Amino acid sequence: MNRCTRTFIVYFFASLLFVLLGLEVFAGEALPQPAQAAVPRKVVSLAPSVTETLFALGFGDRLVGVTTYCDYPVEAQRLPKIGGFMNPSLEVIVAKKPDVVIGVNTATDPAKAREMERLGLRVTLISVTSLNDILTGIKSIARLMGSPQTGEQLVAKIDANIQAIKKRVAAAPRRRVLLAVGIRPLVVVGGRNFIDELITLAGGENIAGSATQPWLNLPEEYVVARAPQVIIEAGMGSERQQSGKRWGDLKSVPAVINGRVYSYPSDKILRPGPRVGDALTELAGLIHPECFTNPSNDRRNGESRCESPKP
Amino acid sequence: MIQVNGCLFLLLILSALGCSLLGPIPLDFVRAFENIFLPDPNAEILFRTRLPRVLLGIAIGGGMAACGVVLQALLRNPLACPQMIGVSGGASLGGILGLIFFPHWLVPIAGGLLGEISWVPLAAFLGALSSMVLIYRFSLFHGRLHPYHLLLSGVIFNSFIAAVIMFLNSIVDFYQAQGLLFWLMGSLSTRAYLTVGFIWAYIVFGFLWLWTKGLSLNLITLGEEAAMQLGIETGALQRQIFVASSLMIGAMVSVSGMIGFVGLMIPHVMRLIVGSDHRLLLPASFFAGGIFLCWADTLARILLAPAELPVGIITAFFGGPFFLFLLYREGTKKLAL
Repeated sequence: MNRCTRTFIVYFFASLLFVLLGLEVFAGEALPQPAQAAVPRKVVSLAPSVTETLFALGFGDRLVGVTTYCDYPVEAQRLPKIGGFMNPSLEVIVAKKPDVVIGVNTATDPAKAREMERLGLRVTLISVTSLNDILTGIKSIARLMGSPQTGEQLVAKIDANIQAIKKRVAAAPRRRVLLAVGIRPLVVVGGRNFIDELITLAGGENIAGSATQPWLNLPEEYVVARAPQVIIEAGMGSERQQSGKRWGDLKSVPAVINGRVYSYPSDKILRPGPRVGDALTELAGLIHPECFTNPSNDRRNGESRCESPKP
Repeated sequence: MIQVNGCLFLLLILSALGCSLLGPIPLDFVRAFENIFLPDPNAEILFRTRLPRVLLGIAIGGGMAACGVVLQALLRNPLACPQMIGVSGGASLGGILGLIFFPHWLVPIAGGLLGEISWVPLAAFLGALSSMVLIYRFSLFHGRLHPYHLLLSGVIFNSFIAAVIMFLNSIVDFYQAQGLLFWLMGSLSTRAYLTVGFIWAYIVFGFLWLWTKGLSLNLITLGEEAAMQLGIETGALQRQIFVASSLMIGAMVSVSGMIGFVGLMIPHVMRLIVGSDHRLLLPASFFAGGIFLCWADTLARILLAPAELPVGIITAFFGGPFFLFLLYREGTKKLAL
């Protein structure tokens, strides 16, 4: 093959690539947007938190497809599955003929979303990075389902829950908290993660909160240096009783000295859905148990119990 | 050239000291040594989190590099590395299964002071052993290991295992998947001196054994027939070396996951410096691998503090360009095995 032919072939394929890329952009822009259905009757959820939100809003019966991870509430487990969280099956989704597909922007691949739109589906991606995003997301899902007031009600309920917890732990001192989801290596909650916000609201201070990553691998020396007063391990399943022992050798860490190493079921807390209020309540209970003892003799406002925490 | 090895050994000792002193957290070393057995943060950072890591890094780096040297000679292929022969894939799969079924099942020894036994490395080592047997069986013809078969079955086995791991990763819980990915990327994070001691014993024993075969390795790189004419029982030697290096790789991957590039790059760099005599090349690679991984891990801890980078990123990021530079400067003349 001479030089001329080779050059020609290279240019040919390069220009073909450009043409194809151009077609892709063109196809993406040229197709008409699917008609906006008045009230969606059939919904596909691409994330467990979206499924939970729809059930909490009372629209669980409109779900025609959920991911394999959607296990709450129990009814969701019986719904048809459309694949995983990161890898839903386009074919199955299209076959369900949904009026709208709802996903979260951190998990759903934008290219996949565009492809679904090209196939005539209406796709909505909600943001779940911060607590505010989660509440806004609930409202926008409710609006999408044609019932904005149920969204407002649900958000008001969650907000009341958050305010109540905030009030309860207001007088308690801030405690340094480490929330781990993996142990070897140590994977923890960083900043820019709604769980970091929940820890702050629960009267704690995330020792990895200064990190810009939502999840990070933390060197263990950092744990010793920042001396967390409470260590919470999430996602440990049935291995709860082991929690204390895992940290037993770090005798200078206050959480270890005071036996404040807890295990937390990952399910509730780690989902950016309508159960964030419950998650916050449980977190606050682990970080400031003294604020939640003796609920029966709650004569005063409940705040004063936190004023003299144990050192 | 013996002087090079001496210098490298000295550098290794200095690196171990330097890397123990460096980290994202500034330390008060006087207090650390004063309170060595007391619950003092300085002492705990130095002796319970940093030192075991540095020691593990040296063992893994040295072991990977030594295995790389031996595999490149055995397979007569400059691209051979510990990640390539299916054993590492088998160890990864075993570890992943361990993480899924016994996520954090640890048994502390002596109240956690000596460390703990975890199911994950045990499962990984089991995976390494079974994949070793499998690959061994597939590559053995008439009592001899065929280098091409060994290489190909390893590569294909690893791709297959990668598919299985991706499958497992897509069916487990989302947050569990995060943990699996971090484990797969490899980390030297450990507080268990027992694990470190076990790995050291394993690596040192394996390394010394391989070192005694240095002369035979020199002859094997001349080609199988030439080696046989010179009186080397090549079939038996190949089998022994494969089993020994596989056992070492299995143990290393079980503890630290897949840390790439050390086993590929260090042998080539050292070959450029000390030449191809395996009696010198093996210790030089062991020392250099230890130095390299030790510093790579220190950088991994410091660069994005408080977050820790996967050490494999550092090894590839600094190792790759450096290797290309050496290759460019030295030409291809010495790269031949």
